[in-house]
Amino acid sequence: MPFRERTAWLSLIAMAVTFGPYFAIIFAGYLPARPLPDLRQLGLFALVSIVRMFILGIGYLYIRYESPQEARTPLDERDRAIKSRSISSAYYVLMFGMVVVGCFMPFSSTGWAIINASLFMIVAAEVVHYGVVVFCYRRQA
Amino acid sequence: MMEGSISNRIRALRFHNGEMSQAELGQRIGLTRQTIAAIEAGKYSPTLEAAFRIAEVFNVPLGEVFQWEAAPTH
Repeated sequence: MPFRERTAWLSLIAMAVTFGPYFAIIFAGYLPARPLPDLRQLGLFALVSIVRMFILGIGYLYIRYESPQEARTPLDERDRAIKSRSISSAYYVLMFGMVVVGCFMPFSSTGWAIINASLFMIVAAEVVHYGVVVFCYRRQA
Repeated sequence: MMEGSISNRIRALRFHNGEMSQAELGQRIGLTRQTIAAIEAGKYSPTLEAAFRIAEVFNVPLGEVFQWEAAPTH
């Protein structure tokens, strides 16, 4: 499996094990809305971010240790084409999300509801980004 | 639009050039081994520049590396 596909898998897994439970807790309503700044929400978000950075850091170092030469190789034309396709796919998800969050939600929601909705759309765009990377490498493997 | 597919003889050309490895070919033209494997398998079409570079490595015209096979028309 190419180095860049493995790093994309790592990002997807890190996202799933951190933001998966985070949004499950949020959408299940285990954290009732409180006035800003809601320190419980903030704490949960900080914890998820730290765990995600930890997983990404350790995972990246391990993958790099496994294939040091590939890690040093610059992107070639196929890597760049895959990167470009994945970013353009994620762009549409992010644009849709920002329109919903930025143009519609302020009329109906406030505080952490808006923050979590924008976080969700960013995470969705990232999932599409790395998902397309994995899909393209798999299809052309 | 004309339907068809691109095939290539990279595997055969590598064999006739001292069983050159995919990694070595990739290194000589600035592509990764995985990209060479994808081109060989017909799963990725290289840029025109990369195609010319591959032909240059084997010292053959471009048409000997890549061929266009038109789909039969009914």
